[in-house]
Amino acid sequence: MHSSTSNFDFQRPVPALPWRGLLIATLALTAIGTVAWEIRARALGYAPTLNDTPDLWADRRESVKPDSLVIIGDSRALFDTDLGVLEQGLGRRPVQLALVGSSAYPILQNLADDETFHGTVIASVIPAMWMVPPPAPPYKNSLRALKRYHDRTVAQRAGHHLGMFLEEHIAFLKQDDLTLEQLLKSVEVPSRALYHAPPRLPPYFATMDRERQTRMTDAAARPDPLQERIKDGWIPLFSPPPMAPHTPKFVFESIAAAVEARFGQTAGAVKKIRARGGQVIFVRFPHSGPLKELEDKATPRTAAWTRLMQETGAPNIYYSDHPELIFDCPEWSHLTAADATEFSKRLVPHLKRALAAPASGS
Amino acid sequence: MLFNSLTFVVFFAIVLTAYWTLRSWETRKNLLLVASYIFYGAWNPPFALLLFATTALDFWLGARIAAAAAGSRKAWLVASVTANLSMLGFFKYGNFLLENTKWLLAQAGITYVPPHLDLFLPIGISFYTFHSLSYTLDVYRGATQPTRSLRDFLLAVSFFPQLVAGPIVRAADFLPQCDVPPTPLKHRMQWGLFLMSLGMFQKIVLADTLLAPVSDAIFGNPGPVYQLDAWMGVIAFSGQIFFDFSGYSTCAIGAALCLGFHLKDNFLFPFASVGFSDFWKRWHISLSTFLRDYLYIPLGGNRVGAARAAVNLIIVMFLGGLWHGAAWTFVVWGLIHGVMLVIEHFLRTATKGAAWKETLPVQLVLCAVTYVIVCIAWVFFRAADFPSAAMILGAMAGKIPVGEAILSGREILQVSLVIFGLWLVQWRLRHTSLEAAITRLPAWLVGALWTLMLGAIILTQGSGNAFIYFQF
Repeated sequence: MHSSTSNFDFQRPVPALPWRGLLIATLALTAIGTVAWEIRARALGYAPTLNDTPDLWADRRESVKPDSLVIIGDSRALFDTDLGVLEQGLGRRPVQLALVGSSAYPILQNLADDETFHGTVIASVIPAMWMVPPPAPPYKNSLRALKRYHDRTVAQRAGHHLGMFLEEHIAFLKQDDLTLEQLLKSVEVPSRALYHAPPRLPPYFATMDRERQTRMTDAAARPDPLQERIKDGWIPLFSPPPMAPHTPKFVFESIAAAVEARFGQTAGAVKKIRARGGQVIFVRFPHSGPLKELEDKATPRTAAWTRLMQETGAPNIYYSDHPELIFDCPEWSHLTAADATEFSKRLVPHLKRALAAPASGS
Repeated sequence: MLFNSLTFVVFFAIVLTAYWTLRSWETRKNLLLVASYIFYGAWNPPFALLLFATTALDFWLGARIAAAAAGSRKAWLVASVTANLSMLGFFKYGNFLLENTKWLLAQAGITYVPPHLDLFLPIGISFYTFHSLSYTLDVYRGATQPTRSLRDFLLAVSFFPQLVAGPIVRAADFLPQCDVPPTPLKHRMQWGLFLMSLGMFQKIVLADTLLAPVSDAIFGNPGPVYQLDAWMGVIAFSGQIFFDFSGYSTCAIGAALCLGFHLKDNFLFPFASVGFSDFWKRWHISLSTFLRDYLYIPLGGNRVGAARAAVNLIIVMFLGGLWHGAAWTFVVWGLIHGVMLVIEHFLRTATKGAAWKETLPVQLVLCAVTYVIVCIAWVFFRAADFPSAAMILGAMAGKIPVGEAILSGREILQVSLVIFGLWLVQWRLRHTSLEAAITRLPAWLVGALWTLMLGAIILTQGSGNAFIYFQF
């Protein structure tokens, strides 16, 4: 006897087609197309490597122990540090938490708010990015990573591990370059008057492993059309976005207030970490060419860096103060893989000194 | 667990293989139940306990309703409705109610600072509450007999393809399918996989990749935008929400079919709607029929005179709007639909029997008018608040003299092509079904379309967002 009413006689129809053959043909064609796209991606210079996703970042954030040595900041801290060299020199393997195109202030605040953390933070500061107010993309990038760290579900963790396995073997899995959305952006359509295209992010030019150790590719390190494309991106990317002519005055005032407040906020975060026995060392990493000129003009050292260091009282290293730390960045913003290793070796004594004399500059 | 995730692909492959490997029907159902709770618990394990508790309560109350004397049956039903709606109200509308209480008291000069309830909204709570509630309502109405199997009822409510974002599957439609193993149906599996591919394509490629960036850019812009940009943003959202939700429903129907279960259509070419009553026969059909059967008809429906029927429609759409989210913007969205349904009812009565209404040009004009008003209503659905909605509507009406050109020529072209293509396809198919349309296509074309869909899905690299309707 049925336990429930059995008056449900709805059945979905199946279209009369040779479905078995269709499935096999579809899978075969899709496989052929996928392999062809993989071959094309490799021919274009792409190689299998991990995408720098919020999940990968969250993995590293979860690995932070109370006394960890942590690197935070922007892409320069990501490209220019060699984790193995720093481990050899400092006795602890750093946890890489720097994020491309980010303001690391929210990450510093997160570590400061973590009552268990009393380790060491090496923080890369590009003033124009560190000081951005919350709605700006660099700030949001950090919040996005932190949100993933706080809210990750079991399913997302599982998906991340499956995804890493695929990314380590398939070259076309490049979320910043080769997704359908990115490919569509390269379709040339006449643009509209008054439309300001946002600056394009640089193309693929680095590899990343599960520890988020990042290395510039050889193609980007040598004079090459790829290197020129990367350079072309920096100036618009580092230039402040144009404000709409009708933007109310209060918007400018609120941005100025947010930037002003960041000095005190940073000092507060540093104070919290140091109160627990931890340390924060600020580092200005090498950059060169027209990008350096732009940064020096937009955020003069005395207006941003010097004031930030004074207000925080934290030890700091400004690369150009030390001749041995001056390197040429082939694409103006980051070091080659070989130079990153050498730079890290030369940075170690400065970091040691900074740790030994926590309240003074290097 | 999201349908558009690698985790789900692996999960579904394992469940499907194990399901069809097992011989015993009872064991298969046990497997599906465990899989469904894993599917749900993968978001937040404690919420699986909540799901179990509410389902078990309705199972027990269903038995009480069936066993009770005529005089006390209603009391058991009230207990079920109260328990379900209280849970939904607490999690979904708790803060909304407190904030509105605060506002009302402030109007009376009383200062009240409510505590902010730091609540996580259990994902899909609006859907599974309705799955479960349909059971006690149907037992009370005599539309179904109570099941004696708690396991079957737990499976009916938690069946993973439709658990978190519909379609809203009534227990009376699902439980009979638990009684006997699925009957053999040739090529069911392949058709189910095709539907899943179609659903994923709608969601990942059309909604997330081609339309969402445009609507997000417009609705997320803090300042005013140009008239063209405002319209394109709203049009993009109309397509995004359709592909997002219809994509989920199509995936759900396909996944269920692979497992031998039959779920009814949730969408029937709504862009081809001629009028609002037609729209609600084509859009989120499982919700509109739920509200019709369990709310509109018990209120008296259209059997109580024109004025009362109009009030009933407004009440239903008010609550339908609120079901979508705890904000007055959703209520306004529902009320616009309610008012339009009432106006349409009067216009239909006034023009009853007029042959000119059925001519193609008039039908096309009415379809366009319906679409434009539906789009205007979507502004309230999508906007974060009333000032944002007013700014978008003002820009659409050309009432805002300044604004930003947010969208590139490529984005405008992209949205226009997708929406025009969508409208064209739906208009041509409006009197048929997907199955009938596919049957008419040559096999090679179906294979080519299937390959293109899978190829495009792979190209997106799984960078899609969560389904919009998960939040409801």
